[in-house]
Amino acid sequence: MPTQAQKAAPEQNPIVQQKIQRLQELYADAPELGKVALEKGLPDLARELTAATGVQSAGRVGARQGKVSELTGILPIAKGGAKRLRGLLQALEGNFRGADRVGTLHDMRFVFLDNDTRLLFATAYDGEWDAYIDDFVTKIPNSLDLLFCNIEGWPGIHSPSIKDWLVKHQITAEAWYVASPNLTVAETRRLEHVGKAVDEFLEKVG
Amino acid sequence: MSSVNESAGVKLAMSAPTIDLHEIQATVLRQRPAPYFGTHVLLRVDSARSGRAFLRRVIPHVDSASDWWNASDPWLSVGISYAGLEALGLPQDSLQSFPEAFREGMAARARQLGDEGANDPMNWDLPYGKSEIHIGVSAFSGSEEQRRHILGVARAQLEGFSGVSVLAMQDFGAQPGDRNSLGYKDGIDQPAVEGSGADPLPGQGRPIKTGEFILGYPGEGGVLLPMPQPDILGRNGTYVGFRKYQTRVGSFNRFLQAHGRTEEERELLAAKLVGRWRSGAPLVLAPDVDNPALGADPQRNNDFNYSNDARGRQAPSGCHIRRMNPRDAQLTRLTDVNLHRLIRRGTTYGPPYDPNAVSEADDEVPRGAIFLFISAKAMATIEFLQQEWINDGNFMGLGDERDPIIGLQEEGATFTIPRDPVRRRVHGIETFNVLRGGEYFFMPSLSALKWLADAEN
Repeated sequence: MPTQAQKAAPEQNPIVQQKIQRLQELYADAPELGKVALEKGLPDLARELTAATGVQSAGRVGARQGKVSELTGILPIAKGGAKRLRGLLQALEGNFRGADRVGTLHDMRFVFLDNDTRLLFATAYDGEWDAYIDDFVTKIPNSLDLLFCNIEGWPGIHSPSIKDWLVKHQITAEAWYVASPNLTVAETRRLEHVGKAVDEFLEKVG
Repeated sequence: MSSVNESAGVKLAMSAPTIDLHEIQATVLRQRPAPYFGTHVLLRVDSARSGRAFLRRVIPHVDSASDWWNASDPWLSVGISYAGLEALGLPQDSLQSFPEAFREGMAARARQLGDEGANDPMNWDLPYGKSEIHIGVSAFSGSEEQRRHILGVARAQLEGFSGVSVLAMQDFGAQPGDRNSLGYKDGIDQPAVEGSGADPLPGQGRPIKTGEFILGYPGEGGVLLPMPQPDILGRNGTYVGFRKYQTRVGSFNRFLQAHGRTEEERELLAAKLVGRWRSGAPLVLAPDVDNPALGADPQRNNDFNYSNDARGRQAPSGCHIRRMNPRDAQLTRLTDVNLHRLIRRGTTYGPPYDPNAVSEADDEVPRGAIFLFISAKAMATIEFLQQEWINDGNFMGLGDERDPIIGLQEEGATFTIPRDPVRRRVHGIETFNVLRGGEYFFMPSLSALKWLADAEN
């Protein structure tokens, strides 16, 4: 139920006022152009702050908006792992059939950090991953071992401690934005299919 | 070795069993008799000594799964909750060796189970949800007379005890024609358990690895699941998710009447919700009209897959049986369907299904089903099913739609029936089975029961 405070215009909303005051304090020691940007941007910012809805948790770690969750990890690369992993990723040329099969992965990125000693792995996915960990073990054990054997301390997909290992390396994002929080990968594929069928139909009757 | 046995009216081709049947409780493998009669007795242990003495007295009447296919005698099964293991004085290190979800108990796992709203533990019947249920004894038999006999045996074990109290007794039994509380023949499709001695029935699929259902054997992942310690306590045991549903028969009948003009249309809609006609005949084999002879034949009534019904034009993708066992249906998520199976013992209670009951008062008549969902990882599997296959539709590409029979429906819920040229979307679906109680039990082996009864702490 909207409270009086939420209904009020941004400039009269005490929660928004508080947030703006806090930001002004934080930006007091910012470079001059930062301070100017804050002041100039205040009307827009106030509107965004009024609409803030909050982010959910994606289970044990990670953030979720609607049906889409984020997973971010910074993983230590094993000796010789960077060369192997880079070679593997380059050979794949972006064709991740395994990821297609998983059916819940919106995207994945692999970024080498700190002179190839650490890997940033970030992905957006639907729902919860840990409910399906046993399915990964029996269905795509090789794909996962092939990728992650290059990470220091990877216990192997068959290890009973696999969930704990993954959780240990996961860092919950501070902010998480999703344009279509209710569109799962499955729903997106369905809508693509429906859209195409509608176009074909219109071609015929048009 | 190969032979043929008859169990609960079903002819089974047999091979030599390779698991410790004499240790495993009969209910894990033994089907209900047809018809079946029984009682669930829920007990509280007020002193560890009395609890152990009660176990000693009841153990001789707990059947093992040796000759599980032979169900001519009544039998008892015993499950113990985490609170019950505490009450029996199990040592701390042993208590801590049980999985977290089991230790917390079913009511405390409401968030993970999606037991909210009407299904919230706050709305459960007594004595559920209070961590007071310590031991569950279930008596199964093939006649009312035998039920009374075995219950008398169970009651006799309680005579002269001050430290064990009966919290609830719930009689159950098949409705006329072996039907459940919504008028369907049920319990047809069960997973085949590797090593149990029975070859799979037609359509049952390949046997699932023993370790999925019984502790101490490799599961589908090729490894042993963590087992409660010490070894004698865990081995050959399993877990039971005990869930009591009340059936809202009035709502169900009103729904059928609102969306079916004739008796034929209503029965077809009822079949579309489940994926089987009320006779048990599967829609994939009898898409247009019921075939009661097919429904009654255990060699044929489960002998199908979805290879010729990929779009769900016969059995809708979101129907109850296609959700609970998708078989070869294409799913949107990478899933190993053999990892999410449960052995289930459905026990119907209350008056028979009445097709003319349409009032709101009819929804409140105590009538429904208590399920025993049996698996070596019952807690994880029930949570998975509740989250993914029952109270969601994404895995089948059905958006937010939920299981029409056991799902918890939200305002404006729908059920999609694929058809040519365009699908039919039925509105106004409600929660037809409301959860009224539940608990997790550990179902120990016969040796573990004796160990628990004799433990000197």
